[in-house]
Amino acid sequence: MPSSNPLPPKENALFKRILRCYEHKQYKNGLKFAKQILSNTKFSEHGETLAMKGLTLNCLGRKEEAYDHVRRGLRNDLQSHVCWHVYGLLQRSDKKYDEAIKCYRNALKWDKDNIQILRDLSLLQIQMRDLEGYKDTRYQLFMLRPTQRASWIGFAISYHLLKDYEMALKILDTFRNSPMICYDYEHSELLLYQNLVIQESGDSEQALKHLDKHCEQICDKITVKETYGKLRLELGQYAEAAQVYQDLLHINPENTLYYMKLSEAQRHTNAEETLKMLEYCETIFPRALAPRRLQLNYASGEKFKELVDRYLRKGLHKGVPPLFVDLRSLYTDQNKVDTIQSLVLQYKDALKAHGHFSDEDKDKPQEPASALLWNYYYISQHYDFLGCTQKALDEIDAAIYHTPTLIELFVTKGRIYKHAGDVQEAYKWLDEAQGLDTADRYINSKCAKYMLRANLVKEAEETCGKFTREGVLAMENLNEMQCMWIQTEAANAYKRLGKYGESLKKCHEVDRHFSEIIEDQFDFHTYCMRKMTLRSYVGLLRLEDVLRSHPFYFKAAKCAIEVYLRLHDYPLPDPTKTQEIDTENLAPSELKKLRNKQRKQQRKAELERQQAAQAQEKREQHNKSRQQTDPDLEQPTLDELIPEKLERIEDPLEQAIKFLLPLQELAANKIETHLMAFEIYIRKGRTLLMLRSVNRAHRLEPNNPELHSCLVRFLRHTSTSNHGSIVNEVIKRQSTGIFSNTNAFQLNSDYLIKNSKSLPHLLQGARMLYLLDPTSQQKAISLTTNLDSNLKAVNLENCTKILEALRNGDFGLCEQAIADYTSKCHERFPYATAFHPPESKQQHQQLLINHQESKEQQQQPPSNKY
Amino acid sequence: MAINIRCANTKDLLNIQHCNLQCLPENYQMKYYLYHALSWPQLSYVAEDEKHRIVGYVLAKMEEDCEDNPHGHITSLAVKRSHRRLGIAQKLMNQASRAMVECFGAKYVSLHVRRSNRAALNLYTSSLHFEVSEVEPKYYADGEDAYAMKRDLTNFQQGCSANEINDVNFQLSNRKCCEHST
Repeated sequence: MPSSNPLPPKENALFKRILRCYEHKQYKNGLKFAKQILSNTKFSEHGETLAMKGLTLNCLGRKEEAYDHVRRGLRNDLQSHVCWHVYGLLQRSDKKYDEAIKCYRNALKWDKDNIQILRDLSLLQIQMRDLEGYKDTRYQLFMLRPTQRASWIGFAISYHLLKDYEMALKILDTFRNSPMICYDYEHSELLLYQNLVIQESGDSEQALKHLDKHCEQICDKITVKETYGKLRLELGQYAEAAQVYQDLLHINPENTLYYMKLSEAQRHTNAEETLKMLEYCETIFPRALAPRRLQLNYASGEKFKELVDRYLRKGLHKGVPPLFVDLRSLYTDQNKVDTIQSLVLQYKDALKAHGHFSDEDKDKPQEPASALLWNYYYISQHYDFLGCTQKALDEIDAAIYHTPTLIELFVTKGRIYKHAGDVQEAYKWLDEAQGLDTADRYINSKCAKYMLRANLVKEAEETCGKFTREGVLAMENLNEMQCMWIQTEAANAYKRLGKYGESLKKCHEVDRHFSEIIEDQFDFHTYCMRKMTLRSYVGLLRLEDVLRSHPFYFKAAKCAIEVYLRLHDYPLPDPTKTQEIDTENLAPSELKKLRNKQRKQQRKAELERQQAAQAQEKREQHNKSRQQTDPDLEQPTLDELIPEKLERIEDPLEQAIKFLLPLQELAANKIETHLMAFEIYIRKGRTLLMLRSVNRAHRLEPNNPELHSCLVRFLRHTSTSNHGSIVNEVIKRQSTGIFSNTNAFQLNSDYLIKNSKSLPHLLQGARMLYLLDPTSQQKAISLTTNLDSNLKAVNLENCTKILEALRNGDFGLCEQAIADYTSKCHERFPYATAFHPPESKQQHQQLLINHQESKEQQQQPPSNKY
Repeated sequence: MAINIRCANTKDLLNIQHCNLQCLPENYQMKYYLYHALSWPQLSYVAEDEKHRIVGYVLAKMEEDCEDNPHGHITSLAVKRSHRRLGIAQKLMNQASRAMVECFGAKYVSLHVRRSNRAALNLYTSSLHFEVSEVEPKYYADGEDAYAMKRDLTNFQQGCSANEINDVNFQLSNRKCCEHST
């Protein structure tokens, strides 16, 4: 240990004890020994001791002191690998991996063969996906410790990840022939890993040979067979492949993929052949669901009717609640829908009349009474799916009248109301269902979700609280458990309520879960090499590389971006200045009202502050108690997410971009990604990035209605602002395929003619018409408020969007048009609360007063800036 | 497409966690799911619908440090209420148990169930041949007792899971099947 300042034997012994204490997590003792060395004036500035003291302090949560000591130690002994290593470990514990890597490299300068430091470095390199660096470090470790299994494995993986399959396979082969190997599960996994590497190199034939040679030594028979099937299909050995998939079906006849692969191996050219195969499989696996159900996908006409008749009767007779859920995917075929509908209606009549499914069955024994109930239940879901709200409600009411205690019926009734646009009524029925079985978390979760859809955040929290740990706030516990669905639903509810800070907090929490899961990899870099589960390990690395492609991230990011855009367009007023209302021009009675209101608000704010303080205290106590039980708490504490700060952030667009970047990388196949990117960049005036966004969107879906509004605004932007000639040239070259016309007016009117039969297109076209020429307000409004039956996509979602656009000022001030449109839509969608006439709406608002303080009045119709 | 039952992989874990959070009071952070998938990749199974949404799962492991008497353990099993009474739980459990025997030579599989959970208790005893081995007082965080249950796997053979007969000639249409064997 070349230290510039070696300790004499007695102190050196003490120093070794500090190291031991650190390893055994006896941090207090470690500090005691450090003090013994440092209190001697001769060694009070001893670098390595100071560094170790710092590292120990870090483990006790005293981060600031830790950094002080470690840095001081390092300054006193810049040539000590210990000091550099310790500094690296400290940075690592703070997740500053790039910095830590630099420190380790410095440490290795002074002790280049230090195994521990090389290992630590390799972990950071793989975590940061520095694959070249990882390979070099693994090489060094391999040269230093060729007798250790992990040296070989790490060395091989590093080449595999760099796609140097040949080298990886050579290493694995040599390793497998070494005496280090014993024939067991680990060896079996190693063989499967090796086979995976061969497959990825593209040499299917070699992979097959390898499998033939070793299949006896592999205990995971499923993977062996699945690999055989895949390889034989790739190599065109169809008969052999068919045999493999038959074998697999005997092991698991519920795997639908095996049936598809069997059909591929038998080289079916039409649906009849597949249907025949499935019929045959049904006779072999009479208890399996898959072959029976899959037949319905391939049958058509009379054959379908015969099969689905049998299928429905069996399900209704037995009482299979998910019968509709199971068949729903057939509803893309209108003929199948019609067939099913006529069957279930016929069952209803017959069951009501004489308790059989049809008149022909009259001589047979009667169906159980529940058959009629399940049939009502089925028809109700059937109609709901088709958008026939009234019929769906009639059927579900008949079912509830038949059996008033079945929870599924209430859930369905709630869902019908949700689909019909009445989230209030929907949540009430879910609440009813939840009350019937408070021990079922699935119902509880659904109920909470519906509450959030109705913007009842507090109620949702209370509901969830029935299943979260006692003594902790429900939302805290759900956050700890990484419960992303509820956080995203809550974020959207807060957004609708105009509580932008709260909404952002939830979005950031979801984002942090993803960061945390990326951190979770760390321990597995060493663990999997020991366990030899290398296929799964490589699977983990690849998953983590694209982790934020998960829909959970997309939803949260979308919400965050929308909120940040809103905060950019309408920044929140400075809280200290909000009270400066022009009091002079108010009548005394109004002034009194205002003062009352202000006082009320103050009281409410005070109360909320108190509650927040209490919650904070509780949290801290909770954290403290956790720290006491777990002294090894190396987690760096993240900045607390404070709603008030989040919603008054200075650079909302920059924040939005942070959420956008992972989407651009991992959700580039979604047009929404590029539409959101456009909205951000148009606000930043970044012409070329706007161009890139519309280009990418255009590639995915050229006739997307929202894209049209981007195109028009892009043309408007480029024609009004002055760019350099280079930019103009780029725009010209990059946009030729996109714009049929570079005149925004002309583009828009062409578009309106071309898409005159589609409501979502008309909305965007009309919006742009008004934007380009406010004098055509009347024309724009009449285009978009058209509800003709020959228009496409006149549905609740689109009509609600139109109403929002009208209210949002996209068509200027148009009170009368809003009122007319609302009543027209009310007629068409009588259940949708969005179109309820004003009187009943006020009653609604009264109910909601605690949750939403007449938000609409505060929001003036804004002028459309973009 | 029908419900598909297959072995779980790392890409399923976020969705398994989601299903767990919707259905059960005992929840785990992602790292615990990773630990299962990276230690015993063969043992956990999922049921997915046609849109690849997880509607049920079994999260399983081997008990460590008992090499002379290897046995598996069911960490968590759930099927969404919207998909119950299709026999999914039973099929998931049978696949997991088969894999325990095949890959790790498990002699038996164990699990815990809430004393109050009648439906689960019934499934385990009547359909899955589990027996109560003991009561563990206050096993759950909320103070409820657990039944510790076991299912003997020494006679568990491949293919018996679905009570199918193995030696049916699987010849379809007029195609010749090959001589290949595995």
